[in-house]
Amino acid sequence: MRNTLKIAKWEIKRNIKNKSFLIGLFLTPVIFILFMVVPSLFSNDEEATPTNVMVNDQLNVYTELEALVDQSEFNWNLEPTDIRESDVENELNESEDTAYLFIDERALGEGVVPVYMSDEIDSFFINQVQLLATPIQAVQMEQLGVSTDELAMITKGITFTEPTSEESSSIESGGGMTTKELERMVPGAFAGLIMLSIVFTGMAIFQSASDEKKNKIAEIILSSVAPAELMQGKIIGYFALGIIQTFVSIALVLPVLSWRIDIPFMEYLFVPELAILVLIALLGYLLFAALFVGVGATMADISTAGNFQGLIMMLPFAPFIFIGPVFGDPSGLMAQIGTYIPFTTPGVLILRLSLLEEWPWVEIIIALAILAISAWLCMKLSGKIFKVGILMYGKNASPKEIIKWLRA
Amino acid sequence: METMLTVESLGKSFKETRVLRNISFEVKKGEIMAILGPNGAGKSTTIRNIMGIMYPDEGSITFHNYHDIPRNKIGYLPEERGLYKNVKVMDILLYLAELKDYPLKKAKERALDYLKKFDLEGKENVSVEELSKGMGQKVQFIASIIHEPEFLILDEPFSGLDPVSQDIFKEEIRKLAEKGTAILLSSHQMNLVEELADRLFMINKGQKVIYGTMDEVKTEYANFKCTIRGENEKSTLERLPEVQRVEQDGNTSILYLTNNVNPATWIKHLPEQLMINELNIDRITLHEIFIDIATGKRGMGKVGESNA
Repeated sequence: MRNTLKIAKWEIKRNIKNKSFLIGLFLTPVIFILFMVVPSLFSNDEEATPTNVMVNDQLNVYTELEALVDQSEFNWNLEPTDIRESDVENELNESEDTAYLFIDERALGEGVVPVYMSDEIDSFFINQVQLLATPIQAVQMEQLGVSTDELAMITKGITFTEPTSEESSSIESGGGMTTKELERMVPGAFAGLIMLSIVFTGMAIFQSASDEKKNKIAEIILSSVAPAELMQGKIIGYFALGIIQTFVSIALVLPVLSWRIDIPFMEYLFVPELAILVLIALLGYLLFAALFVGVGATMADISTAGNFQGLIMMLPFAPFIFIGPVFGDPSGLMAQIGTYIPFTTPGVLILRLSLLEEWPWVEIIIALAILAISAWLCMKLSGKIFKVGILMYGKNASPKEIIKWLRA
Repeated sequence: METMLTVESLGKSFKETRVLRNISFEVKKGEIMAILGPNGAGKSTTIRNIMGIMYPDEGSITFHNYHDIPRNKIGYLPEERGLYKNVKVMDILLYLAELKDYPLKKAKERALDYLKKFDLEGKENVSVEELSKGMGQKVQFIASIIHEPEFLILDEPFSGLDPVSQDIFKEEIRKLAEKGTAILLSSHQMNLVEELADRLFMINKGQKVIYGTMDEVKTEYANFKCTIRGENEKSTLERLPEVQRVEQDGNTSILYLTNNVNPATWIKHLPEQLMINELNIDRITLHEIFIDIATGKRGMGKVGESNA
């Protein structure tokens, strides 16, 4: 164990002193922040320029209009006005983002409401303004002698709708998330982040193992430590590097997040569920790290990787196959299948637990057991491959050879 | 002298090929023991088995006074060697010393001393990738002895070195042996081995060919040979007394003589009709023994018997 820690320490030190690692360490969160911030810079900032909608109302529907606009969440400034239609042109020349509506007898008689708009105005405005037709229509029908009940029927119109169950009705239509959902999402996202950054660092393990081969230093190191110690040292070392990466990322991203979005992250983050999510991420890391260190030892150089090795490198991305089905139905068949395949367990399980209100404890326990056993198994097998592979300088091992080593 | 390491009836196979068969030898405190043999003879495999990097199929390896392989007391310079590229010379030396549990402060002092001795003064903060091949090899050598090992294994230490560096290495290896380090050295540069080694073990195709002290080997195997320039029938030469075998190349004939020949008496009895433009008698060098073995001119076991 002492030797393992010495090697872990060395791997950390070596990477921390390495420029490309340092650049990556800070660049990853910066890119993340850029992805978050840049698109919103280009999109229209709603609060900045509300559209002024001046209404010359002669039918006494202003109150209804106001209520309607409030409900629809349009970014409008609705105000009554007495301006005459002939003066509008002059007014518009001097103002921006302004529209004048003249609701008078013409609306009732001809069904037309004249709208005067300034040159620069939201392109959706003319669509949005159609909403105001309803109260005017109501006045129109009232004048035609339709009773209030009939009126309600007609104005309600006909909509095609799917009968909603109680569960999904808890998802609020307003577009925001409920507190409960956030409580689940935040730890999930955090565990996902840990998982992602250690999986990426895990890929560096693979590089490190193949470097050991390329630089031909393996035999010198192995004269001091056992192969298993070297392998474990690397796994622990890169795990620590992954954690460093995670914390640097969080330290940089969190302030930006809380600046952009108004959510008390910290409160939601440190809930008991986080422990289990982090455990899943950890086991996932061990599985992939063991896999990569073994595969790395079979390759002389990344550029000469065969199809076999390339395929294994893609395994951490396997959970992406399940993202669609899991979002569709977090307790569905596909979600369960994904939960029980070791290589997709961490990703799928973290995603599911972030979505599900009631945690399926039995499934979680089975999945954790599967994950733990396969991580252990992978560690054993990789140890065998590593021991032989790391000394095969300048050569890639074929799948046939690898199978032979596994049998030995 | 105290025996440090005993290798007994070592055997090893890769797939169906036997690469080592019945290899037995000892290494003693303060001696330089050389393993010789052509490429692919099994030298590095033997050494890797001793180091515990491979495991023998048969036989035993015993480090006296220790139960297991005393990794911290062994210095090892493998044949296939290198260093991490993007780290500083001092960092890697200290790391390797740390792996051997050697105190860091002392390691640092020794590292600086040796860098100076090997003409690498001021290079301690240079990145390994900036070193030349020879410099890198010196750093690897320092790494293998920085922790004052009791037992030093050098696999082809001289390959790729210029003569000046070879001499520095030779001198250092000798000094270490004088201080009591047991040294096991593999090489195929015979002249260097002849100068350095106290004892040697020659191996071919995974089997022992010769084992003994340098002097024993020389008296036993380095027989006299007589080179004659002149036109002579091969059969005439072969009929001469004490001649084991004859090699002929144009007008030059080399007569390999038996072990207990007395050169003076032998010359006296040479027949008068022999054409001699030039004649010299000297001992077969280790180099020649080596080449004979490598090219299969001499069988295993007793040298020359099969060709007599």
